[in-house]
Amino acid sequence: MFRLAIANLVQNKTRFAVSVGGVGLALTLVLFFGAVFAGAQSRLTVYIDRAGADVWVSQQGVRTMHMSESALPAAVAEDVKSIPGVEEVVPVLYTEGVIEANGKDYIVYVFGVPAGAPLGGPERVTEGAPEPGPGEIVIDHAVASEAGISVGDEVMALGQPMTVAGLTSGTSTLVSSVSFVRFEDFAAARGEGQVISFVLVKVKPGESPVTVARVIEAQAGDVTAQTRQEFASEERKLVQDMSADIISIMNTAGYVTGLAVIVLTIYIATVARRREYGVLKALGVRNGRLFQIVFVQAFLTVVIGLVFGLGLTLALSVVIPEFNELIVLSISTGSLLQVSAISVLLAGAAALLPARQLAGLEPVAIIRRG
Amino acid sequence: MNLAIQNLLQDKVRFALSVVAIALAVMLILFLLGMREGVLRTSVIYLDHAPGSVAVLPQGVKSTSAGSGQFLSPETAEAVADVPGAERVTPVLLVMAIPELHGSKQVIRLVGYDDALGGGPWDMAKGREPLADDEIVLDRVLANKHGYRVGDPFEVAGRSLKIVGLSNQTSTFSGSFVFARKTLVESVALAPGSASVILVTPEPGTTTAELISALSAVPGTNVLPKREVMENDRQVVAGIFDQVIFLMVAAAFIVGALVVGLVIYAATIERRGEYGILKAIGARNGMLYRVVILQAALAAGLGALAGIGFAFAMGELVMNIKPQFLVAIQPSAVTLTIAAGFVMALLGAMIPARAVAGMAPAEVFRR
Repeated sequence: MFRLAIANLVQNKTRFAVSVGGVGLALTLVLFFGAVFAGAQSRLTVYIDRAGADVWVSQQGVRTMHMSESALPAAVAEDVKSIPGVEEVVPVLYTEGVIEANGKDYIVYVFGVPAGAPLGGPERVTEGAPEPGPGEIVIDHAVASEAGISVGDEVMALGQPMTVAGLTSGTSTLVSSVSFVRFEDFAAARGEGQVISFVLVKVKPGESPVTVARVIEAQAGDVTAQTRQEFASEERKLVQDMSADIISIMNTAGYVTGLAVIVLTIYIATVARRREYGVLKALGVRNGRLFQIVFVQAFLTVVIGLVFGLGLTLALSVVIPEFNELIVLSISTGSLLQVSAISVLLAGAAALLPARQLAGLEPVAIIRRG
Repeated sequence: MNLAIQNLLQDKVRFALSVVAIALAVMLILFLLGMREGVLRTSVIYLDHAPGSVAVLPQGVKSTSAGSGQFLSPETAEAVADVPGAERVTPVLLVMAIPELHGSKQVIRLVGYDDALGGGPWDMAKGREPLADDEIVLDRVLANKHGYRVGDPFEVAGRSLKIVGLSNQTSTFSGSFVFARKTLVESVALAPGSASVILVTPEPGTTTAELISALSAVPGTNVLPKREVMENDRQVVAGIFDQVIFLMVAAAFIVGALVVGLVIYAATIERRGEYGILKAIGARNGMLYRVVILQAALAAGLGALAGIGFAFAMGELVMNIKPQFLVAIQPSAVTLTIAAGFVMALLGAMIPARAVAGMAPAEVFRR
């Protein structure tokens, strides 16, 4: 039965290739969209992970960085430093702003970090200075490459011309990347009083960041203190919540298109072989057996289409960053399992229509009709 | 023509399925383009409704899409108000906040405005505008989604505020607008008297260009026509969305072309006997190509028409289920999609055309 299903399916290789291509591309739509989001998510918390802070202190109620604004009186940094268990504090300024380079705008997370700060400065500097000097900025290599600029060139950031002092790696996503300027430059550009965005805290050896965070919240007043893990988790949740609706809409569109292509493919394959099915029925093969053949065909088309779609998405994840380093694609196991499970359901649904055709076949009539 | 239609309609279920599959590919293209247009439109919905034709931004800032981290100082706001030719000056302070509502994080943009100067909600669904520093107007879609009503408390940035009104047209794909008195937002941002943008309306007799020229003398500012700022805002959002959307449109386009190819190929192979006879009696390949292309064009044409209908239906469905999304299908996108449908047909016809060309009359009969 299995061999008959395969023989029937691959008898016409062009048709089979086109079918698998159609199904594969429809599933690629779903996998690709998921991979773009997973890629963005994989780098979402890169600054939080690399900054070296055990605890992040922000304005009360502010638990995230992306699309968020936190304003704290500068004096909070000193208050936090005096709390038992705190070894080091670094005040930073932050905004989600725009860098203009070579006439093009790039959304960036800009951090203003004090010179020589033990926490929060640039990490993985691939070129140039390890931290920005006055009037300087350190940007991500992907933005520099995309804009065609290098160390020593000028960009507009925080409303003023700044010289690119260094390049970091691995902070860029489709939406943003991380840049660093001097704290004083940021404060002057912000233009309003003694305000900071976050206080980065390093706890003393042996101290629990969770405990220190709770003590900071209790003692510093009107602040939210989170461990690095809590802050990163809130950040991931924000992007998940923001993208959940759009992802479900896109996935539905991709799955429905995929289903239509699979139904069409299996239907065409079945109808093209109706004589053979007629002969099988005349020989006494029951409808159930024929349904199994159709389902195996649908299943094989979907599985091979899925492998093709996966291969194509993997190829895109290698090729696209060659042309645009800002797009990072990452295929998550969860996304792959979800697409695989839904694909099998699609195969089952796709087999229903041709199966009905087979049930209605009259052996003699079909042989007579040819 | 007759041969093409007969060939295509010989199996009506297959033909219907093929039209549906092409329609879905076309729908996907049109829907994605409609989503993109909706996202771009809603990205400027506030500025579009705010007063004034000139925008005064902090130095070097061109857009309000991303936070600039910069504010216009109270002195700058005063200097702008004193510039001759300005009839109405509307300072606005914009701050992002992410409250967690029913376990889900919601992006909101707090708009701080002075009700005497404008810049507040333009279409109130219920209630009134805020009169005190603990009052807000919440977006109606956000309120409905989370069951908030006028009079309910709402927490932002660690403050408990009271909802005094609900506004229409203030929901976007990326979040919702929440309106408050400017003094409240100043206290949240720790930026007393500051503004993110000052919108200026010229006096009668003063042109926008004259006003921009006069305002440009105020230090620490970047003065632009409001339309230009809106275009910059759209560009920032387009920069994020376009690469992904266009790759998905390309994939949907190829799916459509493959479906056309598959259907016409199946129809052609099934009728290879007839094609063999035509070739044997002297029909040239050119004539057979025309038959194949005509079939492809018919399938793609019908598929494209149905796809346009599907796209509008899906747009309506999505906007009903998820009111924060605007799906705006433009006539230009419809034209583009119809053209894409026919290009799909031509590309799809290449596979069966090759099959027809490669057919040897005698061989067909032998098989």
